[in-house]
Amino acid sequence: MTPVRFEADHAATWDEFDAQLKLARQGKAVDGALLAARYRRVCENLALARSRDYPMHLVARLEALAQEAHELIYRRQDYGLRRLGTLLRHELPCAVRGQGRYVLWALALFGLPLLLSYLLAHHGPDFALRLMDAAQLRRYESMYADGKNALGRVREADGDWQMFGFYILNNVGIGFRCFGAGILAGVGSALVMVYNGLAIGAVAGHLTRVGLGHNFWPFVVTHSAFELTGIVLAGAAGLRIGVGWLAPGRMTRLDALRNAALAAVPLVYAAFFLLLVAAAFEAFWSSAAWIAPSVKYGVAALCWALVLGWLLLLGRGGSHAR
Amino acid sequence: MAFLLDLLIRFGIDLALVLLLGAWGRFGSGFIMIGVFSVEWLYPIVFELRKGGATPGKRALGLRVVMDTGLPVTPAASFIRNLLRVADFLPLAYGIGIVSLLLNRECKRLGDLAAGTLVVHARPVVLHDAPPVATPLAPGRPLHAREQAAILSWAGRAKRLTPARFEELARLAAPALPPESTPGRPRDLTAQLLGVAQWLMGRRP
Repeated sequence: MTPVRFEADHAATWDEFDAQLKLARQGKAVDGALLAARYRRVCENLALARSRDYPMHLVARLEALAQEAHELIYRRQDYGLRRLGTLLRHELPCAVRGQGRYVLWALALFGLPLLLSYLLAHHGPDFALRLMDAAQLRRYESMYADGKNALGRVREADGDWQMFGFYILNNVGIGFRCFGAGILAGVGSALVMVYNGLAIGAVAGHLTRVGLGHNFWPFVVTHSAFELTGIVLAGAAGLRIGVGWLAPGRMTRLDALRNAALAAVPLVYAAFFLLLVAAAFEAFWSSAAWIAPSVKYGVAALCWALVLGWLLLLGRGGSHAR
Repeated sequence: MAFLLDLLIRFGIDLALVLLLGAWGRFGSGFIMIGVFSVEWLYPIVFELRKGGATPGKRALGLRVVMDTGLPVTPAASFIRNLLRVADFLPLAYGIGIVSLLLNRECKRLGDLAAGTLVVHARPVVLHDAPPVATPLAPGRPLHAREQAAILSWAGRAKRLTPARFEELARLAAPALPPESTPGRPRDLTAQLLGVAQWLMGRRP
């Protein structure tokens, strides 16, 4: 068949297809079955045109049509609340358990320095001063001091909103950076984890040692359920991606990197979600001084149970048909 | 360039947020910080997941982000490529990112490598048109498929090449032209080969 004949036979279909694609691009309703049938026909034409060395302008036109339709047909469309629901209820906990090894490593990298520096700072004043300068420590002391200016006073509502914004900008940013730095062989994430563990432990130990624990612990105990877990998960995601290409197994490093990144993303989603919740708690609940510490401890226990239950129990059994 | 445009747009949004909400005191400043967070982290993700597959800066320059397979970018891939920007930025001013761009053929930064995405020009470049009109002319001998393809793609570039270069290329195909005694053969070499191209397209005198 000659190119002229080929074009004469099929040009009508191509024109109709083009028009239909234009409509679909504008978001108007089109006959899906017809579109799919025409798409298959155009792909077939493209394959023929290529194998028969038809002139370039014909091949180029068919390529453009096929590409445009390809994008339209295979576009992801399930961005609904339903999708978010399955993600939260099922996929994220499963993914976190699936990467359990990395989560444990991240937990160790974060938890051990935290514990160590807590004990050391609690034991004597030297350690905290080695890690931070005295002005910083004094600022922390005044934040949790008894009295009007300290955190945990009865704040105006607008102050809560301000802190909410700050926690989101700051904490979620730290979480994201912790993940992003992981691609540098996991070293970046590990550093962030160890450093944050040391700093948090030192502050907690120091404040407890100087006798401000009764202000500090009720403040942090609730949102730490979400925040510390979130940081650990972000760190685990970073480690996953770094170790992924360091130890690629039987894949090429590039493929290993891609797989690792894909496996790490649910952990980032989970960390993002947890850090958002943490920011809300930290801004609106932790700072509410009118709530008795015993209530806060009770709620905190519930929150820790919720977070751990979510990650350990939810989504087990019954693989949902997706 | 697209990056600079996006930077400007983001800075503009930040500034607008500060001007609009700044008057609301601490309540407003909370929202400003949420806004700054969104602009810093979520801006590229949100725009890449929309239909155009590009941030406003990229779109203005005719670029878009696709998966390696040519499909629209998936949420996971967009998250990966934009969060790994952190690593690309190190040690300063996108140092690692630039080294990575120079080291691989597809000009990908680390984020693109890990996400399996590709930044492409959105519109295809059209170099070939339909062969210009000419009286069909039978070639002097049967032509191989490759020879046919070469003559056709030469003819498709009639509008883009200078006449001199076009003629020069036509001379290479002289052995395929019909003998001088053929009736109706034009004198001009280019016209002859265009005639052959029309013949190969399937037109007959």
